[in-house]
Amino acid sequence: MKLEVKNVTKKFNEKIAVNDFSIAINSGECVGLIGPNGAGKTTLIKIISDIMNPTSGEVLLDGKKISDMKKQIGYLPQYPNFFQWMTATETLFFMGQLSGLDKKELKTSIPKILSKVGLSGEENSRVSTFSGGMKQRLGIAQALLHKPSLILMDEPVSALDPIGRREVLNIIDEIKKDTTILLSSHILGDVEEICERLVIVKNGKKIEDTTMIGLLNRNSQNKIRIELSNDREDWIEHIKNLDYVKDVELTGNKLKVEVENIKVNKRMLLENALKHHVDIVKFEIANDTLEEIFLKMVVEK
Amino acid sequence: MKQFAILTKKETLQFIRELKIVWLPLAFIFLGITQPVVTYYLPYILEAFGGGQGIIIDSSMKDIAGNEILASTLESQFDQLGVIIIVISMMGVVQSDKANGMLGFILTRPVKVESYISSKIFSNYMFVAGSVALGYVVSYIYTNFLFTSIPFTSLIVALLFYLLWVLFVVSFTTMVSTFFNSQGVIALISIAVLLGIRMIVGLNPLLDRLNPASMSEYAKEALVFADIDMSVVWSVLITLLLSAIVMNFAKMWIANKKYNID
Repeated sequence: MKLEVKNVTKKFNEKIAVNDFSIAINSGECVGLIGPNGAGKTTLIKIISDIMNPTSGEVLLDGKKISDMKKQIGYLPQYPNFFQWMTATETLFFMGQLSGLDKKELKTSIPKILSKVGLSGEENSRVSTFSGGMKQRLGIAQALLHKPSLILMDEPVSALDPIGRREVLNIIDEIKKDTTILLSSHILGDVEEICERLVIVKNGKKIEDTTMIGLLNRNSQNKIRIELSNDREDWIEHIKNLDYVKDVELTGNKLKVEVENIKVNKRMLLENALKHHVDIVKFEIANDTLEEIFLKMVVEK
Repeated sequence: MKQFAILTKKETLQFIRELKIVWLPLAFIFLGITQPVVTYYLPYILEAFGGGQGIIIDSSMKDIAGNEILASTLESQFDQLGVIIIVISMMGVVQSDKANGMLGFILTRPVKVESYISSKIFSNYMFVAGSVALGYVVSYIYTNFLFTSIPFTSLIVALLFYLLWVLFVVSFTTMVSTFFNSQGVIALISIAVLLGIRMIVGLNPLLDRLNPASMSEYAKEALVFADIDMSVVWSVLITLLLSAIVMNFAKMWIANKKYNID
């Protein structure tokens, strides 16, 4: 199933929530939609799942309008809120039947899916007694039940504790093999684990569409971070004059050395330091962490 | 059709789980009993409390005909407290689905908006109409016992007219519940409009013809006079048409996705 979002714009009165957003997702891909709160992720997911109409633009699934392809979509809202008076099994029966599954099929598939999401034993408990994490799991169960080819998840793990987060991430990792997934999050670390492709959204606009490795590489710099055990001003002065060293930043006993070519020069610099009997505590390539890259992209203009 | 059946089943289950199936019929039974019992015992009550001094107790009070008592059950009980109870019991019919996101959620499934709205109106109407009919029958039993009996045909004809008015009440409340997001506003608007149009019945013959509330007036006439002008057919058709229009408004509102709260 190929999902195409074409020039989607959504305005709420005068406020633009999604601004000319386009993306194409191929079958089997897992895409993470990342952005700070209020970036328009939820609005976008609601438009893709046909809960909201875009002000302009269109969403196509395999070339057909999304409203005609609802059987192919599994949707998990940010705060799944089922009918409080239903039991877990009843909820899945209800949602499953609405998706066109028949009773016989559901009788065998519901216990399976409940155990898959870790809710076996709670089949006949009312949803009103469920914790947030259990509701999230029930939400995942209903999104998977009819075996959709596209699953849309709005902040699937943001509201969970570390244990629940881990479990849900494992479930997603498992279903990833046979479905196309689009999930949103404001936490890069969560998405980094399961999705290869990242789309960064800010103020309703797509500001980056890349892979994890691409993101890291693009932001890598020719910088080396060195931590010394004692003050060696003489050596610092010495390396400042080396021809491959472009810049040296010094803060306390830590220095950041910018070189011309990290691959070649890191070795030369280390050898140089050993030759001058410098006592090194730490010697590392100064890559920005994903978190830093994310912050830089989202906060800066 | 299948989706309609699933959604109707869900509504029915909800009536049972939320115990609406108990309290709504009880409320109407209570309303039904009130009119005959209070009318019958009022002279005794006044006497017993010694309030008789200076008040002439008309002994012919007890001679009021049964059909008049049943007519005033419809007019003084069902059309006032009764309508308010129906509105209160139904104000969240679509609103609560909007508020907890279930409406959007249900519509991510291959479900037609028509199926959603029609299942809501069908299940609620069946249930409310059943409760009203039950209250009416209980009122009839008491009336029959304490006053005089009522011809069977006028009993049924009056009920059928009244249930047409109930259909409009249910459809209208569903529409208002679709439009607005606060239960208070929904209740206020529905009650004000429905009681308002009930009050203006009789002011203008033309207006009466267009007014669904005149169905309630016909029900009363069917009981009291036992015969009705044939022109009533037009009013019946107009009431059905208005109910359909009101349902369609609700449908369009949802189909155009105006229900999103955030």
